[in-house]
Amino acid sequence: MNIIEIENLCHRFADGTVGLDGIHLNIRRGSFVVVAGPNGSGKTTLLRHLNGLLLPTEGCVRLAGVSVAQDPARARRLVGMVFQDADSQIVGETVYEDVAFGPQNLRLDHNEIDIRVAQALKTVGLAKIRDQRPHLLSGGEKRRLAIAGILAMQPRVIVFDEPFSSLDYPGVQQVLQNILKLHRCGHTIVVSTHDLEKIIAHANRLILMHRGRVVHDGTPAEVMTEVENFGVRQPCAMRLGQEVASWLS
Amino acid sequence: MRHASGPRGGVVAELTPFGFVVGTSLLHRLDARFKILFLIGLSLASINAHFDGLAVLTLVLAGSLFFCRIQWKSAWRELRYFLILLAMVFAARVLSTGGSPAITIWMITISLPGLTTAALVCWRLAFVVLLGLAFVATTRPAEIRAAVQWFLKPVPLVSEKKVATMMGLILRFIPVILNQARETAEAQKARGVENRKNPVYRLAKIGFPVMRRTFERADDLASAMEARCFTENRTNPELSAHWRDWVAMGAVVCLCMALLTL
Ligand SMILES: Nc1ncnc2c1ncn2[C@@H]1O[C@H](COP(=O)(O)OP(=O)(O)OP(=O)(O)O)[C@@H](O)[C@H]1O
Ligand SMILES: [Mg+2]
Repeated sequence: MNIIEIENLCHRFADGTVGLDGIHLNIRRGSFVVVAGPNGSGKTTLLRHLNGLLLPTEGCVRLAGVSVAQDPARARRLVGMVFQDADSQIVGETVYEDVAFGPQNLRLDHNEIDIRVAQALKTVGLAKIRDQRPHLLSGGEKRRLAIAGILAMQPRVIVFDEPFSSLDYPGVQQVLQNILKLHRCGHTIVVSTHDLEKIIAHANRLILMHRGRVVHDGTPAEVMTEVENFGVRQPCAMRLGQEVASWLS
Repeated sequence: MRHASGPRGGVVAELTPFGFVVGTSLLHRLDARFKILFLIGLSLASINAHFDGLAVLTLVLAGSLFFCRIQWKSAWRELRYFLILLAMVFAARVLSTGGSPAITIWMITISLPGLTTAALVCWRLAFVVLLGLAFVATTRPAEIRAAVQWFLKPVPLVSEKKVATMMGLILRFIPVILNQARETAEAQKARGVENRKNPVYRLAKIGFPVMRRTFERADDLASAMEARCFTENRTNPELSAHWRDWVAMGAVVCLCMALLTL
């Protein structure tokens, strides 16, 4: 069963730049997909089409059978998005309020909001600092806060745009652990990155983008041999002919 | 309180003494709408009050502040600029008030009425600032917003939901702009902008990048809010008045009446 279906998706920006050019993709429910590509290859542009922040110039994106352009509000409930820059997604004055922002927009009642926020904060391990001011958190904590904010809206698909950028080793581990936990809970996961090393051991599909097109699509083992031709670095272990180990071990 | 990590934390961290402090004191538990009324009432009363009245008001405020765990050390550090202002007001008042001279130092005469009016004015100012500090420290920003929205509801031609949203965004953006300005200034210092003597040149070199970055971040924030289904019709914090709010209201009204008639 495909939860995301993308047909001939093209996107041209207002200044004429071609961001995406003829993308065809189907993503199965419950899968763990990594979208890789060098800077400017169109990863962010593609992800923004999944919840209707950008709408196609041509073609169509469907979520569980319904076009995103037809009902962007539904798309935003189904697809949660964790952005590249953790700072600019903080909207609340405390950790609790930031996580409650989404559920409040869904007009849930107070009890339900409390339950969801508590659950989301527990999942990402921030329950102890619910009254802290978000701007004082570390980079890894901010990223986990952003994840909690999305979780509280209970989306089916969670999209991460460069989730490891500017994180240190423990920060990467914490965020990675959370992503894996969400995948185990049944969420469909889409992660964009140009740094395969940190995540590829856990993915079951790798999509390689270059200049707004999908140039390779398959299991990580299949696609990995090609990545260096398109400006993405192969994990060290692979160059040495070994299997890529998880960053958690 | 933890220290900010990363380059963006600095200024925000310094602003924290003026922010909400978690707690369960009486001031924390009062309804935000009542607290706004108290804030207005007590400020007005203090304008009319003299030394005896101010002493009573200050004692009441100090008594309730004692329980709300404000970080006095850092609050003190932030307030020192205010104290300088206060000292300047004091000096100006002393020098501009006539009357029989009490002390004469060289050419400057200081009169007794001058000293007393200056002290009174400064005490009033300090009281109002402390009152505001107490309000901000014990009320969640979301509650302040909800309370303002509640007060604006009967006002025609004003969309209270829009005002509440704007208040939230302004609160959200002040630290962003300050941090941006500081970062840009530092980056330019690192490249020797201080060798340029022309202040207009320097202001323009700071102003435009800061504005551009601020707009970019506003754009990012807008899409993050959109991605989380932002609407103006959202669940607001519940404001509910309890008996303690009415009791406090009675006490504040009595206090104000007493001060006005004394
Ligand atoms: N608003 C815009 N207007 C014009 N061109 C844009 C706009 N946003 C992105 N682009 C262009 O579209 C292309 C794809 O950008 P996109 O941000 O999707 O790349 P990316 O793969 O996410 O890169 P990165 O790894 O740097 O995040 C780039 O060439 C970029 O310059
Ligand atoms: Mg990107």
